[in-house]
Amino acid sequence: MKNRLEELRKARGIKQEELAAILEVSRQTIGSLENGRYNPSILLAFKIARYFDMNIEDVFIYEEDAQ
Amino acid sequence: MSRATKQYILAIAGILCFITGLVLLKAIAEPKGVLQVLPYLCIGIGCGVFGHGAGEIAANRAYAKNPQLRKQMEIEKQDERNIAIANQAKAKAYDSMLYVLGAVMIAFALMNVQTTTILLLVGAYLLVVGVFIFYLNKYQKEQ
Repeated sequence: MKNRLEELRKARGIKQEELAAILEVSRQTIGSLENGRYNPSILLAFKIARYFDMNIEDVFIYEEDAQ
Repeated sequence: MSRATKQYILAIAGILCFITGLVLLKAIAEPKGVLQVLPYLCIGIGCGVFGHGAGEIAANRAYAKNPQLRKQMEIEKQDERNIAIANQAKAKAYDSMLYVLGAVMIAFALMNVQTTTILLLVGAYLLVVGVFIFYLNKYQKEQ
């Protein structure tokens, strides 16, 4: 699953560490999410979407072919 | 009782257990039966309990000086990716443990080791598989 986390974070002008502290996850989790190596739980996905004032599907891009 | 008090009690209990083990080792000249093992058991358990208690005390002292570090440690502990990775690693370890136990059972049987020993090992293997099936059913019903 792809996502726009890096783009949205940079647009807000915050570092990975700062976003990690806000979402109460480790910095490595943010890095893995941005690289697409890790898919978040639905709770974390909601938390991220809420933080950016967006819907989940605007942050995370579901690709049927990738399944 | 506060958490810090419990940790101090644990560390002191560990030291006492360790000393008891040493005293038993020196005091009994010709140990028989359970006394042959008890001193070493006391030393082992004492070291383990003291290590755990002392570790917690040291960590708490470090956290008291740096509250930010405590928060960071809590985040790392509760981080969903870290938990998922730990669970994945445990699952792999469980799979490999079944193969290892199976291989040890075969090796013991080929080495003509006492039947009781092999049966104990088979019992342990079946217990582990039983625990797996129990939790599989439990979680199937819960989720």
